[in-house]
Amino acid sequence: MSDFFTLTVLVGTLASGIRTAMPYLLAALGETVGQRSGVLNLGVDGVMLLGAFGGYYTVLQTENHWLGVLVGLAIGLGMGLVYALVTIVFHAEQGISGIGIFLFGLGFSDLLFQELVGTPRPIKPLPKVEIPLLADIPHLGPAFFQHNLLTYVAFALVPLTTWMLMKTTFGMNVRAVGENPQAADSLGVSVAQTRMGAILFGNTMAGLAGAGLSLQLAIFQHNLTNGLGFIAVALVYFGAWRPRWVLAGALLYGMVTATRLRWQSLDIIPRGASDVAAMAPAIITILALVLLASRVRGPAALTKPFSRH
Amino acid sequence: MNIHRPHRLRRLFALLFATALVAAACGSDGDSGATATSECGTDTSVAMGDSVTDLTFALVAPSAKDDLAFTQSMVDSLTRLGIEPQITDGTFIVEEAAAAIRGYAEEGVDVVIAHGTQYGGSLAEIAPDFPDTSFIWGTATDTQGLDNVFAYYPEADQGGYVNGWIAAEMTDGAAMGVVGPVEAGDAVAYVNGFIAGATANGAPAPSVVYTGSFSDVALATETAQAHVDNGAQVLTGTSQSTVGAVNVAAANDIPWFGTQSNQEAWSTDLVVASQVYHWDVVLDDMIESIEGGTLGGEAMAITLQNGGLVIEINGCYGLDDSVVDGAEGIIAEIIDGTIDPT
Amino acid sequence: MTTSTPLLELRGITKRFPGVLANDDVSFDVRTGEVHALLGENGAGKSTLMKILFGLYQADEGQIMLRGEEATITSPTSAIEQRVGMVHQHFMLVPTLTVVENVALGLHDARKLRPDLDAVGARIREISEEYGLEVDPDIDVWKLSVGERQRVEIIKALYRDAELLVLDEPTAVLTPQEVDDLFVILRQLTAAGTGIVFISHKLHEVLALSDRITVLRNGRVTGRTVPAETDRQQLAEMMVGREVDLAPDRPIVETGPVRLSVSGLHVTGDRGTPAVVDVDLDVRGGEILGIAGVSGNGQRELAEAIAGLRQLDRGSISIDGADTTGVTPGMARAAGLSYVPEERMKDGAVGEFDVAENLLLVDHGDSRFIRNGLFDRDQIETHAARLVEEYAVKTPTLHTPTSSLSGGNIQKLIMARELDSDPLVILAAQPTRGVDIGAAEYIHRRLVEQRGEGVAVLVISEDLDEVFALSDRIAVMFDGAVVKIFDRADATRESVGLAMTGVV
Ligand SMILES: Nc1ncnc2c1ncn2[C@@H]1O[C@H](COP(=O)(O)OP(=O)(O)O)[C@@H](O)[C@H]1O
Ligand SMILES: [Mg+2]
Repeated sequence: MSDFFTLTVLVGTLASGIRTAMPYLLAALGETVGQRSGVLNLGVDGVMLLGAFGGYYTVLQTENHWLGVLVGLAIGLGMGLVYALVTIVFHAEQGISGIGIFLFGLGFSDLLFQELVGTPRPIKPLPKVEIPLLADIPHLGPAFFQHNLLTYVAFALVPLTTWMLMKTTFGMNVRAVGENPQAADSLGVSVAQTRMGAILFGNTMAGLAGAGLSLQLAIFQHNLTNGLGFIAVALVYFGAWRPRWVLAGALLYGMVTATRLRWQSLDIIPRGASDVAAMAPAIITILALVLLASRVRGPAALTKPFSRH
Repeated sequence: MNIHRPHRLRRLFALLFATALVAAACGSDGDSGATATSECGTDTSVAMGDSVTDLTFALVAPSAKDDLAFTQSMVDSLTRLGIEPQITDGTFIVEEAAAAIRGYAEEGVDVVIAHGTQYGGSLAEIAPDFPDTSFIWGTATDTQGLDNVFAYYPEADQGGYVNGWIAAEMTDGAAMGVVGPVEAGDAVAYVNGFIAGATANGAPAPSVVYTGSFSDVALATETAQAHVDNGAQVLTGTSQSTVGAVNVAAANDIPWFGTQSNQEAWSTDLVVASQVYHWDVVLDDMIESIEGGTLGGEAMAITLQNGGLVIEINGCYGLDDSVVDGAEGIIAEIIDGTIDPT
Repeated sequence: MTTSTPLLELRGITKRFPGVLANDDVSFDVRTGEVHALLGENGAGKSTLMKILFGLYQADEGQIMLRGEEATITSPTSAIEQRVGMVHQHFMLVPTLTVVENVALGLHDARKLRPDLDAVGARIREISEEYGLEVDPDIDVWKLSVGERQRVEIIKALYRDAELLVLDEPTAVLTPQEVDDLFVILRQLTAAGTGIVFISHKLHEVLALSDRITVLRNGRVTGRTVPAETDRQQLAEMMVGREVDLAPDRPIVETGPVRLSVSGLHVTGDRGTPAVVDVDLDVRGGEILGIAGVSGNGQRELAEAIAGLRQLDRGSISIDGADTTGVTPGMARAAGLSYVPEERMKDGAVGEFDVAENLLLVDHGDSRFIRNGLFDRDQIETHAARLVEEYAVKTPTLHTPTSSLSGGNIQKLIMARELDSDPLVILAAQPTRGVDIGAAEYIHRRLVEQRGEGVAVLVISEDLDEVFALSDRIAVMFDGAVVKIFDRADATRESVGLAMTGVV
């Protein structure tokens, strides 16, 4: 145990937790906005996989990370259009459509990978950006201020998403159509357009999260996300649809993951207990959010398609 | 037409062929079938061999066919035997795999390879329905009492031991890190062998983390990073998730030991040695049995002894000749039983 | 604009839904500064007509004239643009948004980055002051009382300069006090020139407020009148289409012994807070005790505790002298209780079961219906046929799924089952809510009949008319407690209404 409290290990754990949290946070923030508008997207993981492959392949070909990020965003946007068409225009059942998107993303990203790449080849990882001055603070610097740009972006998006939801006209409309679409409609707020906007935002973020994951890991592989997108959806639920609680959940998940790996590496967790250790992040995060996040009801119209008649 | 060759002759033929292949690729003469040092810059991909059988094959596997790990080891082995199976890969969902296994059996494929320990339960249900089909299942140390199922497994602790021994030679008492997936099957054998080899050669016990997943690249990456932060000078690991760990090794200039497939392709400068699974050795015996009318009932291991395990040393890494010689000595002692790697 | 041109004129509106003619050639008009009531039973087509006016539905036939010109109203937005405002039967509010946000919704194009909530708030305060519509603009709507929410709805319409305001059953959810406040506000609005459509099925409200009355039945206009020329009896007959008896004769009955006794009862509600607080009640045989109160003041929990459906914290209950504190529903029944629950489709009947099966629900252990260990089909059918006949349940067959009956017929079916068991105590919660006048009249007659036979009847109702029509004594519940018990002779709508707000 004492090994763990050496500064280098603590700093390493913090940095690892933050890195791990990044894709969860991006995906969950997007899904928060989607769900606040009343649309559940179980396809997040599939969109992430497509974004992850797109970003990876772009960097493999061009060595240009920002192009990779752009491709991830664009793929997310495209999948958002598909999902919006299916759920808003055709009123398809959201749970099933989401699973459809997931399976498509899982299969198609793998197919593209097999066809275009084959054997996993590493790419250049996203460069670290050291924040001037802050990065030089002993210990805190390496833990918090020496990450890739997308990590900072993910964290900055927390207050921005809150602001968007709570202060902008779009956000107000999103909250209204997620809670009582009939009311919004009766005042001339277009439920379809608002949900469309929220879906596009959510999916674009999922695409970004996917690209963030593959560029951070500098690799792609079949099912690279390994269910990460589903955990992100759970974080939204257990984070009570509030960006700050979603942040807390993502960070906690990342930190518990990092901590348990470090503890295993230092033999603080004995080898035979690796199964239990692997479940710890999900269990601890969900328990903590259940206990801490104020138990508000979810958006009342969540998963309910809207039509006037 | 099915040409039936006597047992010994065909095995010899296959071995000769494999040796020729390795020799051609390496340029350096392999002293036994068990080590091979590649010349730097050679292609490690496997060429299609001459077909040894007219049986038709199908392969169902949990990860991608070119994962440079578990699944690829089987694909490469079949390639060496000149067999081009129908492949369903990436079926980490067991139900999907079960559907594929049954589908191939119904189609009338002669031999269906269920390449994944987790498929055992499905196989126990499917195999009795197709008594004329032979199923090959691994890694598994028994056939669940089914007489149309062959099982195969690697004695992965042998290669683990060799890798661990070499690693100890290189690190001079520094820490080593192991990135393990799930605490089961050949992963545990490899990891335990690695520890045994390293400690036998005077190194401190390597630190081991089982991530809990065969496929979670992010976890493997962070685990490797944890080892590096703890001061590890050598990394190794097993399962397809280790692609991430190899990246961390590369970023920190830390040597990597591979297993299952030759992992040089991931990182030519860093992979010191890989324990490669040559399933063809046991597959060949199984094919022979099948052609002789016995469709299963036996579990077979690949070992350093039978040439199913091959330690491929990366010529590009530039390992000292003395170390290579030492490793060969260790291999010889494992083969003759002087060393018990478990 | 001259006074002869009405603000709104609906001409020959017809609207069909699959299998239903919701509006059949309906004409209706509203002048500036008047309240025109639209009266009708549930399902008469009132809401449909107004939804057409508000652009939520399109009429199949007919015209909408606004200020003398034909108007096309294709959406709520176009209705709002043409200065039509609507307060829906089910409030159109977003509970998680503040009052200002609710009012501001749809005012700004989503392309405008931020809504100007300060300006909206200021305007809300102006409107509040002008019409006495008191409400705090910055509060979340879920924190508001029902009355306050309704004010927000009215503000929403006025903010958009509505000249014509439609209120769909606005009093259904209000306390008598709140109804009075609403009427004051509405009169102020008409004084300022607003035209109001007031939808209701409550006769005395319509008579008290309106300038003109139009009655709808089965989608058709069945009467047009003004309050001065009509009365409740006549309006009820226009609604129902036949003679009705609004207040059943209650012959004088000798009251018998105490059949139901509740004392010192404390019950916790679903949210874990006290729902029933120290309630004492005695009901004698031959007596109807009515419990008045706005819903949510502990009536449901009280009923469930008596019926054995809810645990009680403290206190005791006895039926016909036998202690039934904390017993199971079956034991309460065995002691002589019949229970007509408030949620009739949830607790009273099984929707997928057919009529005969539902009539059997509580008697299925009865030896009459069992032969050789199995249900005796013939006996069950005879039994069901007799009850359906006796209680005038309108059903196509005995094997029609209960869920496809109308609310009134489901309620009659439940009454038939409950009264057939010769109870000593009847507990009826909201027995006529959502039930048409005809069925309500019938149910009332049956309850009074039971009283005549010496049964103790406890009626819980939000409908003051019902409480007054039935009760010998009236207990008022507020905040979980019985705040006052009136003798029928001493009770007035005002005194009971006031007690319902907790003022005694
Ligand atoms: N959207 C709809 N689809 C089908 N039928 C409807 C719909 N809305 C109302 N109805 C039917 O039209 C009739 C009139 O309903 P409504 O206008 O709501 O009556 P009211 O408001 O007078 O109680 C009822 O029979 C109702 O079941
Ligand atoms: Mg209505």
